Amino acid sequence: MTKPLLSVENLTMHYTTRGGEVAAVDDVSFSLHEGEALGLVGESGCGKTSVAMSILRLLPDNARILGGQIWLGDLELLSLPEPEMQKVRWGRISMIFQAAMNSLNPVYRVGDQIIEALELHWGDISRQQARERVAELYQLVGLDPALMDRYPHEYSGGMRQRAVIAMALACNPDVIIADEPTTALDVIVQDRILKRLTEIQKKIGMAMIYISHDIAVIAEVSHRVGVMYAGKLVELANTVNIFERPLHPYTAGLMASIPSIHGEKRDLVTLGGEPPNLLHPPSGCRFHPRCARATGICIEQEPPFQDYGNGHYAACWHPMEVDYGSH
Amino acid sequence: MWRFLGRRFVQMLITLLLFQAVTYFLIDAQPGDIADLLTLDPNIPPAERERLRAQLGLDRPPAERFITYIGNFYRGNLGVSFQEYPRPVIDIIKERLPRTVVLFLTASILSFWTGFVTGKILAWRRGGWIEYASTITGVTLYTVFTPWFALMMIWLFAVALNWLPAGKFLDPLKWLDAPISANAVFARMIWSSFFALVIVFVGFWFSNRVPRRQRLVLRAASLLVPLVGMLLYWRLSGLGFYAWDIARHLILPVLTVTLIAYGGTMLLTRTSMLETLREDYVLTARAKGLPDKVVRDKHVARNALLPVWTGLVFSLGNSVSGGIITETIFSWPGIGLTLLNSALVADIPVAMGTLTVVGVMTLISHLIADIGYAFLDPRIRYH
Repeated sequence: MTKPLLSVENLTMHYTTRGGEVAAVDDVSFSLHEGEALGLVGESGCGKTSVAMSILRLLPDNARILGGQIWLGDLELLSLPEPEMQKVRWGRISMIFQAAMNSLNPVYRVGDQIIEALELHWGDISRQQARERVAELYQLVGLDPALMDRYPHEYSGGMRQRAVIAMALACNPDVIIADEPTTALDVIVQDRILKRLTEIQKKIGMAMIYISHDIAVIAEVSHRVGVMYAGKLVELANTVNIFERPLHPYTAGLMASIPSIHGEKRDLVTLGGEPPNLLHPPSGCRFHPRCARATGICIEQEPPFQDYGNGHYAACWHPMEVDYGSH
Repeated sequence: MWRFLGRRFVQMLITLLLFQAVTYFLIDAQPGDIADLLTLDPNIPPAERERLRAQLGLDRPPAERFITYIGNFYRGNLGVSFQEYPRPVIDIIKERLPRTVVLFLTASILSFWTGFVTGKILAWRRGGWIEYASTITGVTLYTVFTPWFALMMIWLFAVALNWLPAGKFLDPLKWLDAPISANAVFARMIWSSFFALVIVFVGFWFSNRVPRRQRLVLRAASLLVPLVGMLLYWRLSGLGFYAWDIARHLILPVLTVTLIAYGGTMLLTRTSMLETLREDYVLTARAKGLPDKVVRDKHVARNALLPVWTGLVFSLGNSVSGGIITETIFSWPGIGLTLLNSALVADIPVAMGTLTVVGVMTLISHLIADIGYAFLDPRIRYH
């Protein structure tokens, strides 16, 4: 297998709050290959965004990275000095933010905000060249280049989202992290933008991390999917496997909770209980209080994150089914 | 834009007229009039008092007097002072207005600039004793009782340290054989400072458009040229001695007003910055790999400027009326002091004239605020 483009190794990150330490990310490892789209899925507050922010080192002041390494090629990002990190941001890893609606500064023209990034990372670029690049990007995301001299408030929600995607693509980054990029949009616009995003991803061949709580969206855009629960990565496999034979009971529960308009009518299965309080995470497997298959060992010991063959990883003492045969 | 300005001008005229009506009847509602005050001597027969009243037009009913006044006002005649009869009111305003404007404009610009810069930095570096010290200082300056604070400043700088004069516009002993009047010297001071500032601003504005290496040279030049020019001008004209006397008298009131206004601007900038820092586009700016200073100045401060701008413009409008206290304590013969003295002796033309100046300045500063908004925030457009 080729060397991964980006690899996150045993990342552990805590927030210090008035109530105590919050274990937002706990021992998370995954890698991303060139041209690959990796989906990260999980409930709100499970640490998806915290992983993304750790990669770009844009965490708030109360966050502390306690352990782990993040490799971008041969660069270890967590130990990189700040000026070097500034070059990595947007130059090599860019991001489409959760609230893309508000990620544009209201007092500057949209085109100028993209040009700002270009001038920063590409240095010797004339104003005219930069404008041509913006026009090219606008066409790529399906926006009229004439709009670049308008202000954000003159854009509709979908247009703003496209502009934000254009901005993320501006410097030809190796990796784009898309954090719930379509959550604020209505379903039709969401669908169009997702299609455009996967098209661009295929065309340019960049690697992408796609973060969402919506497993249907994840299924549409990603090659591999990682499932997070309470700050831990509990399962990681390619998209087909994770949907067809989920190993972790939590993943299975997520799948069962998607309503389907095809096939037989069935009762919608919901997961009982609530997401755990990360101030006092449950002992052993963090999912055990909500898990039907939990036994004594689940309460006492943390399950290892192990390979079940075919690149299908899961952390569970009693996985749903094991039919890869290797274990 | 022009249509907006035209409509705005008509609105301003109507507001001014209403303002004049209210102030006229309020001043007139004071018990007694100037005729009573001028004829306090019991030897003056009552008939003489009535004759004086008739001569000044005070025997007419207030409504009739108001209509006559307004008619004359809009034909450019502001009347003559009762107290300094027959000096025209316009003369008094021409003499005193520049003094007030210079005092408060300088203080406003200084406090705005220093308050904005320090507030910006404080919002960026949170925590520690600097934050506590500056917040306490800011709140103290913002809430301090102005007369007390002004007296403390006089006590410190004029009495205890004896660095600066305690008040007044100039030291009369130094002006005994002055070649031209103090007002003429002051006018020259205003114009020369204005030209010097224009050179500085143009220089700095232009310096942002040249390559980095020439930038520092250009900035140094745009500071040095006006400075040397000023020194030469005052040296060669032989008026430097007199200009310095006025400048020395100006320092303490400017410093006091600046400090009082500084606290509010600094706190407002800090709060506004902290609010803006939470915006998503600030995170985007950081994610773009922009250095901290660029994120702070270009993306945060630019958006945090709007409420601070409102504060500045309103304080300009209020400076004349707010200046009554400052000008009285420092015996600074400006519009505020004139207004107070004329109102006390029911010198209606002077009181009306100065109050109208206050009203006009307030209206103009609000207009400037609105035009400034359109420049600062592209979301605001007027039709």
